Amino acid sequence: MIERRPLPFRSRKAEILTHQTGIKRLSNIFAYARVIAFMLLSATWLIVETGQSDAASHVRAPENAVNLPVDDGPPNTLGTRSDGEIWSDIRHGAVGNPSSSSASGQAIQSLGQDWRLLRENYIVKYAGWFPVGVIGLLLLYFLIRGRMKIASGRSGKTIPRFTLIHRIAHWFTAGVFMILGLSGLIILLGRPVIVPLFGHEVNSIMTSAALQGHNLFGPLFVVALMWMFVKFVRGNFFQLVDFKWIFKLGGLFGGHVSSSQFNFGEKSWFWLLMIVGAVMSITGLVLEFPWFFEDLRLLQASTVLHGIGAVTLICVSLGHIYIGSVGMEGALDSMLIGEVDENWAKEHHDLWYEEVTGKSAKDDTEEGAST
Amino acid sequence: MSFIEFVEGPFYTVAMTIFLLGAAWRVIGIIRIGRKKDISPPKGSAAAGFFKGNLRHFFPRGIFARRTWLHIVGGYGFHLGLFGLMLFAAPHVAFISERITGFGWPTLPRWGFVITAEIAFAGLIVLWVRRISDPVMRLISDWDDHIGTWITFFVMLSGCFAMQESHVFLRATHMLLVNIWLIYFPFGRLMHAFTFFLSRGNTGATYGRKGMNL
Ligand code: HEM
Repeated sequence: MIERRPLPFRSRKAEILTHQTGIKRLSNIFAYARVIAFMLLSATWLIVETGQSDAASHVRAPENAVNLPVDDGPPNTLGTRSDGEIWSDIRHGAVGNPSSSSASGQAIQSLGQDWRLLRENYIVKYAGWFPVGVIGLLLLYFLIRGRMKIASGRSGKTIPRFTLIHRIAHWFTAGVFMILGLSGLIILLGRPVIVPLFGHEVNSIMTSAALQGHNLFGPLFVVALMWMFVKFVRGNFFQLVDFKWIFKLGGLFGGHVSSSQFNFGEKSWFWLLMIVGAVMSITGLVLEFPWFFEDLRLLQASTVLHGIGAVTLICVSLGHIYIGSVGMEGALDSMLIGEVDENWAKEHHDLWYEEVTGKSAKDDTEEGAST
Repeated sequence: MSFIEFVEGPFYTVAMTIFLLGAAWRVIGIIRIGRKKDISPPKGSAAAGFFKGNLRHFFPRGIFARRTWLHIVGGYGFHLGLFGLMLFAAPHVAFISERITGFGWPTLPRWGFVITAEIAFAGLIVLWVRRISDPVMRLISDWDDHIGTWITFFVMLSGCFAMQESHVFLRATHMLLVNIWLIYFPFGRLMHAFTFFLSRGNTGATYGRKGMNL
């Protein structure tokens, strides 16, 4: 861990340096400085050249011209140390606070370089492949296994599962999540994906739009997440029966699995959403309001956590969306009409069925009862 | 003529004309139908009933309020948010003052703009997801309801996308959607913005004349 201490050098040059936030801006300054230096050199050369030619003979100072005193400015503006030495200090842990601006945050530190490399070489490079891989796996699973049917067919009788408020909370969260997911992927993958396909101009437009959308909808997700927690936490605590579910891999490859209102998969999804969602909310707010946070490391950690969390949630949500819609017959009813077919309940949530109806899920007097 | 010049110029003029003429046509049409002559002796004031009917419908009674609280919160959030955005967002005031009124008025600060937009979006999403997840609402909703919601949503979303104000294309897209919204407005239920007070007033006037307490 790099400890905060004042820069071991103090010169006008260092002050100009510490003025900037982030190493990227610093390199911009150097780039500008090079251009300015080049222009100055060219101008000097031109003056020298023209001075040697007849131009000088045409330009005469007026008769009454006086020499005004010249302000030489502070001495030693370039400092006593070379650029190489300054960078070496920074690389070896020197950190600095801007001494000539009102901002008190840490402006220079070596971690920025590691952060940039991590972001560019890993997160941005591979993030997009995870959702693509998950979609591929789901397609493959669907092709092999097809839709999970209600084995005994629909009974035609339904039992209530979610209230209207539950459903509205779910779809509100899902809607906001999708907007954030799409806009976030555009922001993250603009350079590696949009630029090669559509060019810089399109990327610039899409990223600008996505960023505004992302910033506006972000706080709504925080609210949605809390709402979702309050509405769904009941029934999502892990129980003993969940272990049996794990051993049978949730019936993914056949066989009956007992479960109460929510099965182990759903409970895991709920808690993953809550925990990773909370991390996303906190890091997202940090990134949306960076001026409240002085430590650059917090912002760097936030971007990394936000990116990894986003990819995780997007991937798992794809699985959830699959199983909640095309993957399983009868599942979507609970979120559309709030009621589920009795046979669906018996097959997928037998313990819950017995709890709410008082009947046995294995009761064969119910036509078509199964497993 | 560039895309932005087209959508802010002739296309906007056409859209606004259709909007104004269409909306006026429908409101005048409804008023012209008039009310069936009631020959019974009046037991109360129809005019007072008209206003009372309008005011009374701003909030549902007792048990209905409890059962529909989310709909009420969503509805008010969306509508107030939308009016706040339409009338007090700085870019809108600049446009209205330049193109319509010739004068402007105080605008929301940027954070106010963002929060108002968030409330409006949240309200609109709640209203629409309620429409699809309540079986009765789903049954009584038709294409017009969904189109009206989605056009409004896209107008708002494109406006949100343009908030950096750094790309003409994004502003032009927003304007294009505004024009489409203006054209669609008089032909569907978006017209409720101009007709709701007539229907509520009609019910109020009928009851008012009969001397019923609303
Ligand atoms: C179009 C996309 C989606 C569909 C079709 C869908 C479908 C469903 C269905 C059918 C259920 C009820 C399952 C049951 O009855 O046991 C459900 C529950 C749930 N959904 Fe979704 N969903 C979608 C998107 C999302 C998204 C994006 C999120 C999160 C951001 C989400 C979070 C949840 C949660 C937390 C539950 C409750 C599970 C539990 O509490 O264990 N859903 N979804």
